[in-house]
Amino acid sequence: MSGSGLVGAVAPVTRRVRAYFAPVDRVVGVPAVFDPAQMGTFALDTPPAPWVDLGWCSAFARKSLTEVGALRTGAPAVAQSQIRTEVEATVSLEFESWGKLQIALTAGSQQMNLLVTANGAAANGSGGAAAAPIPLIAGSTATSLTVGAAAASQFSVGDLVVVDVDYAGQVGFVGSGVSAAYVSSATTVGNDVNYVRRVSLNVGRVVAIADGSLQLGGALLAGVPATGMQVSRLAGFVDREGGGFFQEWSGLFVMDGEQGDRMLYFYPRLQAMQGAAESLEALAGPLERVKLAGVFRALPVKDANDGETVLCFRSYLPGAMRAV
Amino acid sequence: MQNAKDTFYVSLRDRLSAVNPARTMVLRGVTRPGVLVEENELASAYQPVDAFCLRWTGSRVDMRGALPLVAMHCEIRYGSDGNAGNGGMDRGRLLAAMDAELVAAVGAAPQSAAKMSYAGATPVALGTRVFWGDVAFGAATVNGERLERVATVEVFCYQEAGEL
Repeated sequence: MSGSGLVGAVAPVTRRVRAYFAPVDRVVGVPAVFDPAQMGTFALDTPPAPWVDLGWCSAFARKSLTEVGALRTGAPAVAQSQIRTEVEATVSLEFESWGKLQIALTAGSQQMNLLVTANGAAANGSGGAAAAPIPLIAGSTATSLTVGAAAASQFSVGDLVVVDVDYAGQVGFVGSGVSAAYVSSATTVGNDVNYVRRVSLNVGRVVAIADGSLQLGGALLAGVPATGMQVSRLAGFVDREGGGFFQEWSGLFVMDGEQGDRMLYFYPRLQAMQGAAESLEALAGPLERVKLAGVFRALPVKDANDGETVLCFRSYLPGAMRAV
Repeated sequence: MQNAKDTFYVSLRDRLSAVNPARTMVLRGVTRPGVLVEENELASAYQPVDAFCLRWTGSRVDMRGALPLVAMHCEIRYGSDGNAGNGGMDRGRLLAAMDAELVAAVGAAPQSAAKMSYAGATPVALGTRVFWGDVAFGAATVNGERLERVATVEVFCYQEAGEL
């Protein structure tokens, strides 16, 4: 420490990257906003709303594909000034955990729930016709689904469930909390009453059953269930190579420096730019750890401060008493 | 560098003590947490069992930044004879318990601590933080009836202006 009390501004040293998700309102085209001036110092385990923790990720790599060209005049031509001819950026990473959100974001297209099928349902690659859903009754919360004692007996602790509205001919983005798919017409989805629940990201795990209610291990992304929502059991998740939908999300990536500093990378709009992929990390012998690998293209927003069209925001919060 | 070594030792001692308060040792007549720094004690061929013994070995300095970045290699030696009541047949379990305590203490977030100077009667906080990597375990070795292990941790610090 110098006589002024300042410490030299060393290059940040960090060990891993924490990722966060926030939904983009696809209907009106409005992404989530992260204000590093107001929220930048949040505790990693308790991100501010509406951000949802995606856990640690590795192989985090940002790439600027922005091209800068020269404006030349004269003979011989001499560069007089510069212009940006193309603005583009990508970000790639590997998630360290396999959750519904992580799988959906890296799937490249709509990611579906394997709804428990009805008896005798014909086999289908993304799951056959679903069993009848169970209606919610008054009193449900984001972590507790009230279905009544009789219906609750159909569930078991450990069940995966999805909670969402019935499909009733809606056209456009569907899915509560997060736009999970785009329906162009009712016929394309076979007028399936369970279609929204088939694609919804509003899922949870039953950890207890009591008094006609299913207690969930975490809060539903969409919060308190709306009137008319129903619950279905599911066996797991499925995604496909192909499909016409692009999942879009707001991404926030945080690197904590070892000297109390912090780097934040805020991408208001990200869309997957590859299909579902994994990377394999050798452990020992035949064992390999399978990580979800994602590559995303950043899409633009306008910065309210100056109207500039930008793709991402990098913020740096220096440690205490560091020279700047 | 001494401040960083002292800071890491105190951090590790406090964390190990929190993980397992029952792991204590008697050293020079004083009961204390079961962790010591070899170079801070009387030279002795005796290595305590069921306690952690820190030995500072190599170090290197990277002078490229605004402050020199120092990397120090810390060996953590420990072993167990097992309980006499069990005929020593639990020495593997006891060594595994020490492994787990070390993982918990070294790996707990944050893996850093404000660098302190313990040179005076009252500890003084300096301007930077000491930080460290994950623990790496060497192979367990058999030494007579004793099961021993050497684990290593890389400890990093910045050498502050005027700091010796």
